[in-house]
Amino acid sequence: MTGQLRIQTDEAGGDAREVRQRVPGAPSPLRLAPQVEAAACSPAVRSLGVHKVIDDRPVLRDLTFDLAPGSYAALLGANGAGKTTLLRMLSTLTLPSRGRIEIFGRCTRKQGALIRAGIGLIGHQSMLYRDLSALENLLFFGRLHDIPEPGVRAMDLLEFVGLVDRANDPVKTFSRGMVQRVSIARALLHEPRLLLADEPFAGLDAPSVAAVERLLEQLNTEGMAVLLANHDVRQSLRLARTVLVLRRGRLVLDCPAGQLSAEDVLGEIDKR
Amino acid sequence: MNRAIRHIALLTAKDLRIEARGRQTIGLVTVLAILIVVVLALGLAPAPGASGLTATAILWVAYLFGGVLIFEKTMAVERYDEALAGLLLAPIDRGAIFAAKLIANLVLMFTLALVVTPVAVVLFQFDLSASPGGFVVVMMLSMIGYAAIGTLFAALTSSTRLAGGLLAMLVFPVTLTIILASTRVLYNLFEHQQPVGGSGLAILIAFDVIFLVASWLVFELVLEA
Repeated sequence: MTGQLRIQTDEAGGDAREVRQRVPGAPSPLRLAPQVEAAACSPAVRSLGVHKVIDDRPVLRDLTFDLAPGSYAALLGANGAGKTTLLRMLSTLTLPSRGRIEIFGRCTRKQGALIRAGIGLIGHQSMLYRDLSALENLLFFGRLHDIPEPGVRAMDLLEFVGLVDRANDPVKTFSRGMVQRVSIARALLHEPRLLLADEPFAGLDAPSVAAVERLLEQLNTEGMAVLLANHDVRQSLRLARTVLVLRRGRLVLDCPAGQLSAEDVLGEIDKR
Repeated sequence: MNRAIRHIALLTAKDLRIEARGRQTIGLVTVLAILIVVVLALGLAPAPGASGLTATAILWVAYLFGGVLIFEKTMAVERYDEALAGLLLAPIDRGAIFAAKLIANLVLMFTLALVVTPVAVVLFQFDLSASPGGFVVVMMLSMIGYAAIGTLFAALTSSTRLAGGLLAMLVFPVTLTIILASTRVLYNLFEHQQPVGGSGLAILIAFDVIFLVASWLVFELVLEA
């Protein structure tokens, strides 16, 4: 890490801009926990014959795939294909009905608490308390994660996402893009090794999309594995190195992004 | 153990901070409870010096409906923007979430009781002078059991469309046991001058323990359902 990347977005409609600040000796807000290296030999994600049934309806069927540490994968599929359910299972919020999921070699069924300490999830919703300020939210979640010096870490991350000047404002006064950036900061608080992002661009304006795109790229460059559930095929092919396509709960494509065109992917998504 | 207590304190402080900032729950609930007491006062046209049993019955109506709103509102905070998922992703015991929510609910219920009870005493000219301390102890013990069940069922129903109505339908029958025990103890206290203690108090404490332990054990399953 040569410096801190700060992403700022002009909410009034201006362009997004990056400010690279070199802070000698300052820890990166993107730093990964020491166990990253220790667990580097295990896949970031290993899904083995995973099924999920909700209300007697099979939502995911026989999913088997690996994601390497430090990979950047896009998870694509039509509405209802099972993307969100898969991310919720990977984050241990729900368990598979059948099959096995391992995160850095640990089984979600048996070692949920340990796995949660190494996972960051950006969901459809912000997972923040709208009546608390951005700083209060980050302090609260930081303390729950037993982060040493949560105040310093929270301010580092708010600086990173370009919201340090709004640190004490309630989240309910933020635009959708700003909320999303605080949500990203929350997901990074505990230095996760795997970032699961569920439609992180939904509802964002163009500058905010660009800002979040760069944020995810930067995190991945730092060594964090990223799994991005997304609707925009072209954007996903541009960002990710691996593409996974779900169709009606089945994994129908697991391929390097460079070998695919948007038409190929759309064809797989829409195939009956 | 210290870690669990620290997490409970953090979670409780968060709930109370959110409530203190908006005062949405306590404001709404207090108005509702006072309205209930006033409507009952107008409808029943009570005679001066109503008995402790009547006092208990009137107050329980206000506490029950106020309590349901409190349970629903404090859990709704977690469902809004899926903040609960953020909690579930933290490496904390699910029991800590239950304990914190229960404590926050009890703080709000005791605050409600502090406001509503004097209003009812004035309107109905309740004579609680025989044993005001006993009245407070019995009501507090009853509220602990009620809040334990309410906290559990609020977590269960908060993700459904019927949240409030369904919560009342589930909680009222289950807590009937503790309300009956509470009114029986207070009846003996005020009508027969039997001091609080003995089997009446033991029954209340037993209900509290059963409701607390059962709710604690089931809460994790409810959250992950």
